[in-house]
Amino acid sequence: MSANGSSAELAFRAASLLKAEPPWEVVAERSRRYEIHLQGTRIELERGPVTAEGYGVRLLRPRGGTLGVGFQASTDVSLEGVAAAADDANAAARHAEFPAKSVELPSGNESAPSVPVVDPKLWSDPLGALRGYVDTLLGEFDGRNGVVPSFGSVKAVLSEVSITNSSGLRAAFSSTTVELEVAVKAFGGPEGRPPGEYWVNDAARRLEPERLERSVDDWCRYAADVRRAVPPPSGELPVVLTTEVLDGILPIVLGTRFSGQARLRKIAPELGSEVGVPELTIRDEGEYAWSPGSAPYDDEGRPHVKTTLIDRGAVGAHLYDALYASALGARSTASARRTTVGPSANLRFAFPPHPEASTTVVLPGDGGSLDELVEEAGDGVLVTQLGWAQPDPVSSEFGGEIRIGYRIRGGKIAEPLRGGTVGGAGLAPAGAASLLRNLAGIGSSSERSGTLVSPPLLARPLTVAGA
Amino acid sequence: MTLLDDHEGDLTKGLERLARRAKFAEMMGQASRGESVMIDTKSTVVSPQPRLAGVVYRVWTGARWAEAATSDLSGRDLEATVARLESELGRAGGSEPPPGESTTTRATWTTPTRRSLEELGREGTIRLGKEVRGWATAVPGIVETQVRLSWQDEERLYANSAGARCLQQTVRTHVIAVPIAMENGRPAFDFLSRGGVGGLERVPGLEEPEVRKAAESSRELLHAKAPPTGELEVLLDDTVAGLLAHESFGHGTEADQFVRDRSYLKPLVGQVVAPPFLSISDDGAFPGGWGSIYCDDEGHPGQKTRLIDHGRFVGALHDRESAAVLGAKATGSTRRSNFLSRAFVRMTNTYVEPGDRTLEELIAEVKQGVLLEHGSSGIEDPLGGQMQLKVRKGHKIEHGRLTDLVGSMALSGRVLDFLRATKGVGRSNGIEIESGFCGKGHSDYLPVGTGGVPVLSRAIVGPA
Repeated sequence: MSANGSSAELAFRAASLLKAEPPWEVVAERSRRYEIHLQGTRIELERGPVTAEGYGVRLLRPRGGTLGVGFQASTDVSLEGVAAAADDANAAARHAEFPAKSVELPSGNESAPSVPVVDPKLWSDPLGALRGYVDTLLGEFDGRNGVVPSFGSVKAVLSEVSITNSSGLRAAFSSTTVELEVAVKAFGGPEGRPPGEYWVNDAARRLEPERLERSVDDWCRYAADVRRAVPPPSGELPVVLTTEVLDGILPIVLGTRFSGQARLRKIAPELGSEVGVPELTIRDEGEYAWSPGSAPYDDEGRPHVKTTLIDRGAVGAHLYDALYASALGARSTASARRTTVGPSANLRFAFPPHPEASTTVVLPGDGGSLDELVEEAGDGVLVTQLGWAQPDPVSSEFGGEIRIGYRIRGGKIAEPLRGGTVGGAGLAPAGAASLLRNLAGIGSSSERSGTLVSPPLLARPLTVAGA
Repeated sequence: MTLLDDHEGDLTKGLERLARRAKFAEMMGQASRGESVMIDTKSTVVSPQPRLAGVVYRVWTGARWAEAATSDLSGRDLEATVARLESELGRAGGSEPPPGESTTTRATWTTPTRRSLEELGREGTIRLGKEVRGWATAVPGIVETQVRLSWQDEERLYANSAGARCLQQTVRTHVIAVPIAMENGRPAFDFLSRGGVGGLERVPGLEEPEVRKAAESSRELLHAKAPPTGELEVLLDDTVAGLLAHESFGHGTEADQFVRDRSYLKPLVGQVVAPPFLSISDDGAFPGGWGSIYCDDEGHPGQKTRLIDHGRFVGALHDRESAAVLGAKATGSTRRSNFLSRAFVRMTNTYVEPGDRTLEELIAEVKQGVLLEHGSSGIEDPLGGQMQLKVRKGHKIEHGRLTDLVGSMALSGRVLDFLRATKGVGRSNGIEIESGFCGKGHSDYLPVGTGGVPVLSRAIVGPA
């Protein structure tokens, strides 16, 4: 599905009003946002449409061996508004310095892949689709004793983006993004234990009510297990990490440390250096279907491609947008991104691009199912959800509280765990331990969580701190 | 002259149209300007604050709230936004009055600034940034330093059908310096971050000794030992104590979670939860605090609320709805991230009130434990009452003395267990508010301040 006229017209109209010397770039976006907020099983608030329309102007001014980069965004679509934004960008460019002599913006001559990122039902009737999804969601809790949703929301952003530049590019695409947040509470019962909660957060490109039955079963089980969970043991243990947990670690570690920014600042691992086990291959795939990290184009309008970041354990590539590619004598990998999924999802135009991961894909291995990884772990811990792994963008160290996990005893899942922490280094220099070097098993079947597609992984060991 | 002057007439007309059909209607118009300058050894990036503006309308349908918003302050989308809510009012058909009391505040506030980055100008700001970078990079072992100086002038106009009109122009200034040390391919960093409502006068410590101290800390972290793991005596420095007050405890006091039956603190109102020497407050009127507000997004003035008073949990934070449901008063805690976001009960500046112990006395009391320094982040667990706090570094404490430097750590455990096990609270002549951003769950980020004094207790320490 292509964008309808409005956002494309805005970008091209703003560009025609720019009166700027090349190179320049204009991105425009028109978005509609709809939200349904829950309080228990009742609808607390319906929001929408929340509309935002705006554009960003980027000017790139060669100056004495460097580039002055100026960017400004605005929601003022009048002639005066465009002129004011261009003045701001010009003024910023006069004072800015970036270590590139020139920049090669995409010309639009390459064709973009067909990437499914628009939910047609959501696009044509957003509130109706959201209401239907919420009905299905709440219906899944009917008849369940001692478990309810206590807090939550389903949000949808319908976005039309257009990008034009002084190299002749005229690209436009549409997308839908869905954010789901549900806190599932288990309570009651004769044992008098405090209530337990499983807190779901996910982003996707489409509503998938047909997946709710299985998901709600899992959420309710986790919420109930939290009530009888105990802290983990302390020690260096085999740890199995689910795709959801890895989504909080790998896209951030790889997206920052493998980026052109990191390479320019000399904190990126060198091409060809060994960073993981030989069985590990990880790609950046901006055209992966239905991922919130995917789209036909990157945010500079370059068609997305597959980039192998880690090839059988060794660094295969770094991620570049046009600017960092120019600075480092490389080619863009179509990795320009303006925002990540989340609260700014419908203000993409308000941010200048920078190199970042799109959809991170860990290729499946031969470790088998989750149960087989657990069996391989022997005596360890399965982590199902971390509070916030929050990897350090410089050191790549991560760690977080276990929100729900399970003790592994004799290769079998045993009692539930909550509390304590698990963590380590995502990447490490040669000879040092890290998550990617300590992999002892790569599952055979992948799932998507957020912008990560990965099988579960077994690391042996990671540091666990508990009772 | 304000940013919204040209549009207030159109926005108010929309509110008046909605007020004719709704039992209650309100709006929040927002516009902002500002700039940030980022400098490192490779580049200088000047980023003007996007020229964003918009308005959100909220109406009570007689049964529930409905909202719509737009970035178009005078054109077809503004008309469509109002029309959409008129249609919703016609469809909903409830007859209940809106929950809680509507404000009638009429006031205007403007942040006074003594040394603003705007007046310093773009060239002056770049000069200052390069000077700060130079101080840090002069420390041997520092390979890179990123410095960012930013200011934002945000205008919020709140008005409602009960007659309130609150216009606040808030200037926030923030500086962060991140010196990166590198050895044998292994990077490490500490950072200096300061911010407040006001100009550079709210950024204490932006001087050479403080910046060098952050750079030296980055270098020392290259050789930090692994932190101890397991349940230990833990001494939180004032920054970590502030994170505890906000993330671990404060989120449980947001009374919209009481209404949802989603707070471990709800059954404990009025009960003793800590020793008598521990008090925690939230203060939206803290002078210059990064999280300070003149009024909230329902028109209630920013104000101080005591949450724990000498060990007793006495107060929660309320918006009009939770106050109505729970028989309390609104506490100036209703905040929207921006015009695109809904309002929630939120904190402002949350901190541990000073006690009577010196830091040395608290260290001397620990046989085997760890001092956690320079808090960096945390995450809430309002129902479960678990905590997760992260710090950049710390020191082991052995037999009452600080020993090895240790690297980043995470703190976990049950908040109530931590509070009840508190053995001492440090003294201070004044609270310094740290600057941060906080979401409600995983979205709706807005500026919040945290602060405090050292707190000694027990918790689980692990990797971060």
